Amino acid sequence: MDFLNMTFLQELLLSTVRMATPILIVALAELYSERAGQVNIGLDGIMAFGALAGFMVCYITGNPYLGLLAGAAGGILINMVYAFCTITLGAEQIVYGMAINIFAPAIASFIYKVYFGISSTLAQATLMTPMPIPFLSKIPLIGPVFFKHTIIVYIAYLLVPLSYIFFQKTKAGLNFRAVGEYPKAAESLGINVVKQKYLACIICGALAGVGGAYLTTCYISTYTDGVVSGRGFIALSAVIFGRWMPGGVLIAALLFGFTDALQLRLQVLSSQTPYQLLAMIPYICTLFVLAFFGIKKAGPKANGKPYFREER
Amino acid sequence: MKIKRLLIQILVPLVSILISFLAGAILIAGIGGNPGEAFSFLLKGAFGTKANFGETIVKSVPLIFTGLAATFAYKCGVFNLGAEGQFAMGAVASIWVSTSLTGISGIPLLIISLLAGILAGGLWGCIPGILKISRGLNEMIVSIMLNYIAILFMGYLYSSPLRDGSVPQTAAVPVKLPRIMEGTRLHAGIIFAIVLALFLYYFLFHTAAGFKLRAVGLNQTAARYNGYSVKKFMLVSFVISGAIAGLGGSVELHGTQFRLMAGFGDGYGFDGVAIALIGQLNPIGTVLVAYLFAVLRTGATTMQAGSGMPTSVIDIIQALIIVFAVAGSALTNLPKIRQVLTNMLSKKAQEGKA
Repeated sequence: MDFLNMTFLQELLLSTVRMATPILIVALAELYSERAGQVNIGLDGIMAFGALAGFMVCYITGNPYLGLLAGAAGGILINMVYAFCTITLGAEQIVYGMAINIFAPAIASFIYKVYFGISSTLAQATLMTPMPIPFLSKIPLIGPVFFKHTIIVYIAYLLVPLSYIFFQKTKAGLNFRAVGEYPKAAESLGINVVKQKYLACIICGALAGVGGAYLTTCYISTYTDGVVSGRGFIALSAVIFGRWMPGGVLIAALLFGFTDALQLRLQVLSSQTPYQLLAMIPYICTLFVLAFFGIKKAGPKANGKPYFREER
Repeated sequence: MKIKRLLIQILVPLVSILISFLAGAILIAGIGGNPGEAFSFLLKGAFGTKANFGETIVKSVPLIFTGLAATFAYKCGVFNLGAEGQFAMGAVASIWVSTSLTGISGIPLLIISLLAGILAGGLWGCIPGILKISRGLNEMIVSIMLNYIAILFMGYLYSSPLRDGSVPQTAAVPVKLPRIMEGTRLHAGIIFAIVLALFLYYFLFHTAAGFKLRAVGLNQTAARYNGYSVKKFMLVSFVISGAIAGLGGSVELHGTQFRLMAGFGDGYGFDGVAIALIGQLNPIGTVLVAYLFAVLRTGATTMQAGSGMPTSVIDIIQALIIVFAVAGSALTNLPKIRQVLTNMLSKKAQEGKA
């Protein structure tokens, strides 16, 4: 076991934080959505579109920060389709999430092919450079693992306490949650349920789009079909595992990030083990974690139900 | 009310398809192409020659199976997004059994191999079902995770233990499904698919068990009140749904691909869900929409070669059809719109009578 040294551990933890980031951002996106009663299983699709928007803008302008903004804008754009159909038309949320999962990657792939040609080599864009935090990044082991990242990683982790404060301590957050728990009561208290739900979808689209753009502006420098590879669904399970709380979501994201980082390290270390078996680890781990810790009902009560003002 | 149901079942998908093609045409024109030319290449590719005509039907076979799998589960109120994995596991079991069994050949081997596919698909579909009824887990997440595991497992098999030769792929199956049309690749699998669709239609809409299954799907509380075992129905429908997808994988293996390799069954699972939804969750509708998707898929390649339009235009048209079809069904269900529609229809009916 000579590979279990400090460097390996440090690399593994660093990689964990890096891999957990997109899952964390997207899981927070879903948290905001579900807290307002909007189950969105279209995260994979929104991420794919965000990944493309981020990559394209980053490729054209050479600025990864603009890429992240574009990812957010793209995510909102796609999620508005979902929002309109589920909130205004009352279409089933699960079905529409599925539609987004088919629709968004198709558009992303189309735009990529139209812009870069059908059979081109992979275009490369610049990656965002890490921003080490002075002093803190000098601490041995912990410093490089936690304080030597791109800015988006810090923002993602900062969002966890901020979301907690928003949901638990502010009036706006309570209103937000009321919509997901009991929309009729919320309406009678003068909360505009439809507006609140749209707001939730905007936040969800922006964050999920950033989560996708993170993949193409901070992680790999190109866009390919299938770049998201189920991370949206892993984020969805992170919300369930995290019991709809920001802190729980963070723990879940770190756990999934760890398994992802571990399987990648193992692939490098033992090249004779078929890589497919190692690549299964995060998915199998998700299943086990859900099977052991997933609880039956903890989410917002009106989650996934369409809301009609006139009804009854 | 019957007219209204018919309207939703037939008119909504038809209008969605038309609008989607229109949007596709605008898109093609937008990137400097000629929509008429592109679509004529599309049609030529799907129907132009006898071989192409057969190819389109061949492409529809796996889509019918995954579409039926999604329909069946959804009718019982559970979402099976795992048809992709069940499809792959069906094919995996078939290739394993048919290449390793010795002393048996011909039709008996084919039957055993297909049964292995059904069994494997059913077992793989059993997992999300069990986790849902025992642990209350979201069946969609579980079935998606199982998709990735199944695809990776299939990749492991054709690149390591079952690899045959220098390219990562397995040996060919020893028995193939017979061809049923000369000069094309059309195989007997289409007969299986259509018979299965008719059987499922009969089962769902004309038998007591089918009625109960739909009742569970429509209102679990009411079904439980009537003494139906909701959990049992959910589990059984997941197993059957998985078995249908597994049979699809097995049929695809024996009829078209003959061996496992990279990309086997790619995208059939999700397309199956889309097809089921556009087909208004009716087995017959599923067959028709699967055929339409196959037309788009076969035609897309010809269109790309002939007019230079990327095949992803077709992906977008497919995606738009589902976006519009689902929104359309929801729209016609809105209380206000429903009122308007009923008024319109009853007025027409009265005029017709007068």
